[in-house]
Amino acid sequence: MSDSGTYLYAVASESVPVDVPGVAGTPVRTLTRGALVAYVSTVPLAEFGEEPLRHSLEDLDWLAETARAHHRVVEEAARVPVAPVRLVTVYADDDQVHELLDRRGEEFLAVLFHVTGRREWGVKAYAGQAAGPAATPVNGGDPGRPGTSYLSRRRESLRGREQARRLAVTRAEHIHASLSRLAVASRRHRAQDPRLSGHDEWMLLNGAYLVDVGRDEEFAALVGSLGGDGVDVRLTGPWAPYSFTVLEPG
Amino acid sequence: MATESPAWRIKADSETVERDLTRLVLTLVELVRQLVERQCVRRMDQGDLTEEQIEVLGVTLMRLEEAMTDLCERFGLTPEDLNLDLGPLGTLLPTE
Repeated sequence: MSDSGTYLYAVASESVPVDVPGVAGTPVRTLTRGALVAYVSTVPLAEFGEEPLRHSLEDLDWLAETARAHHRVVEEAARVPVAPVRLVTVYADDDQVHELLDRRGEEFLAVLFHVTGRREWGVKAYAGQAAGPAATPVNGGDPGRPGTSYLSRRRESLRGREQARRLAVTRAEHIHASLSRLAVASRRHRAQDPRLSGHDEWMLLNGAYLVDVGRDEEFAALVGSLGGDGVDVRLTGPWAPYSFTVLEPG
Repeated sequence: MATESPAWRIKADSETVERDLTRLVLTLVELVRQLVERQCVRRMDQGDLTEEQIEVLGVTLMRLEEAMTDLCERFGLTPEDLNLDLGPLGTLLPTE
């Protein structure tokens, strides 16, 4: 068994020179098969084999560095339409990548056609602490019955929170629906943990939208118009179309 | 391979173990307290508790909350510290 593998970054239909280093500082090469080009690196299996990866993926520093390198390569290649593949996709050798391009060539071409002339934008909506209706002011209650007043206060607070949650969910649905009408395709990702994103607020929406290049400004204006009332809507991008090109393994 | 251990792993030295254990116990107590509180509110809404029962339950839950606050202060814990992250299921207790 060989001690190196082939790390796959992205698939495209034409190749552009990629001058940035790949993951673990490896040089990036291209493999051509029919109408498709694959961007790859030769990586040591001591680091990228199945067993070492299980440990490495728990190491946030390693993961961040690898993700940055992966992203750098994809961004370079994305001067033409590309289909990025999932982070740390490692094949046994170049032949396996050739075989993948042969077997799933049609699917890659369809995906590339779908993203041509379009870019991915990320939209995140956050609810500040005060997004919901202000808690109903509680009347003093019966001073002779502190336990009853306590439970009434708790009831109001639980109801207020439930109502705020429902309002926020409805709001997120509305934002997503509005953006989806302008976009060619859209996807909702799982909301990020507040501790990872560094924002204290509750993330209502973590959406990705594939937008025609000519409608970028229209999209940005729409995003701007959907915020307010305690909901903060933020636009990021444009990105390589990560959310719309992932082929399921198989 | 010399990988540094992630920050969220519990280190088994005597100082942190005591605090972590206290934290876990208080978390479970707080979970039960909140469940009982919700159940009380539900039954109060359904009207199947007498005024006396509501008063007694209310006072008990209020005292428990005060006791929790005191204990948290003593061990230098905040309400967020008692909220376990259950990954895809969200957090154990509702976030304020």
